[in-house]
Amino acid sequence: MPHGALKGLFSFMVATAVLAATQEPVSPKLTPTIITATKQVILFTGLERQVLQAIQKKDKSAVEAMTTDDFQIEMPDADPLAGPDWLDSVASRDFTLKSFVLRQMSVADLGDAAVVKYDRIQQATFKGKNDSGEFFVIDLWKKSGDSWRLANRYVARIAQVPASQKIQPKPTGKE
Amino acid sequence: MKFPLGKILLVFLFVVLAVNFLIAQKPLQPVQEPGQESHQVPDGAGGSIQVAGPIGEAVSTGHGINYNGGPVLKGSPVPIYVIWYGNWNGTGSNTQTTVGTVETWLKTVGNTPYEHINTTYGDNTGNVSGNLTLGGAIFDTGSQGTRLSNNRLSNIVNRSFTNGLPKDTNGVYVVISASNISEQGFCSSFCGFHTAQTLSGTNIKWAFVGNVDRCPSGCEIQTTGPNSPATNVGGADGIINVLTHETEEAITDPDLNAWFDSSGQEDADKCNFNFGATLTCTTAVGCTPAAVTAGAKFNQTFGGHAYMMQQEWENAGTGFCAQHLP
Repeated sequence: MPHGALKGLFSFMVATAVLAATQEPVSPKLTPTIITATKQVILFTGLERQVLQAIQKKDKSAVEAMTTDDFQIEMPDADPLAGPDWLDSVASRDFTLKSFVLRQMSVADLGDAAVVKYDRIQQATFKGKNDSGEFFVIDLWKKSGDSWRLANRYVARIAQVPASQKIQPKPTGKE
Repeated sequence: MKFPLGKILLVFLFVVLAVNFLIAQKPLQPVQEPGQESHQVPDGAGGSIQVAGPIGEAVSTGHGINYNGGPVLKGSPVPIYVIWYGNWNGTGSNTQTTVGTVETWLKTVGNTPYEHINTTYGDNTGNVSGNLTLGGAIFDTGSQGTRLSNNRLSNIVNRSFTNGLPKDTNGVYVVISASNISEQGFCSSFCGFHTAQTLSGTNIKWAFVGNVDRCPSGCEIQTTGPNSPATNVGGADGIINVLTHETEEAITDPDLNAWFDSSGQEDADKCNFNFGATLTCTTAVGCTPAAVTAGAKFNQTFGGHAYMMQQEWENAGTGFCAQHLP
């Protein structure tokens, strides 16, 4: 799939998700179920964890190896953040990622690309202030040979988490 | 020297009130019997509550998975009721051959060394039997359409009680959908799931398993499995793999409050798509000619057939993924 088409598709999916969140008139009840994750969910849960663990260790070269050269992050009400700037920020001494939990992951497999959506709850500090919260993340991963590299991320904070609150691995117990 | 009587009385009154307050709090703490453990369990609203743990020998803990106080299914056998949803008289793996293969598996997996791994789990009154069987099966060709949701799946299970299946709180109902049927999250997030719900006034344990041929890259083990009737028709073997996952979990954690670890993973989750050692198909072990030709892999044999099934978490020692017990 051409790069332009991929980015277009990604933008469309992000726009659709945002519109769905703001316009959906029905909020389905949360049915407690325990799922058998797909192989892609297992794979990308592992990759997302690797990126976050590299950030925890401030291992810039590991993060760079897992992202494309033109990797960028998009957020609501902000200009896109270039990969190198983002990496400088999260790898600096100012930012500390204490812990994180990923949940409700789904993967749209597009062959040489995959769109990964999930919730991330993190305990973190930035310049000494609480930067904890719950984030909705949409990642675009591209296949490069036998490996996958993160090409684009849309991320939006959806809830604050008090610094003192312990992260529950599965807040409802069952996702 | 003049005593500040007023201040002393005030301090005394404060101490009395504080002691009374502390005493009043004590009954709110859980009362724990000797030898009894207590557990934090999810309250379904983001928090947790403390409940009393089991007393007895049926519960063995400390093996990488936790007992959270709820019951397990101890029937011998545990009946598994199948609702074949959609068109199972179609092409590919949406055929009566698949129906027959899956139902044969359900009739023969009970009491195998594989299923006996589940006997390492129990509750206050006993252990899982390691025996299950096909309790009954019906076809629903599409009462809820081709685009399913969890609510529609509930409806499918509920209407089965008036269409040939008994209402059995000690059994597990499984909706298996043909590959033209979509279900929210199926293929993108999961290959199947299980839950418990009150239906027609009874606590019903039910599960969903989709035809994995809808998304081979996400849910299928191999395109041609040991029971494939033809090359690249691996749906039956893939369904069996997910079905073993869901039935194992529905038996050891039927009400979602029995066995799971600190990250919420149940016994089968801990070995999801983990098969252990495998062998290559031959006709001697019960593989189909197509499977032999394709060099399909298998890791279990019973009832005259070979199967490729994920391992299960054995609740013993340090805990581990196992293919059989012993």
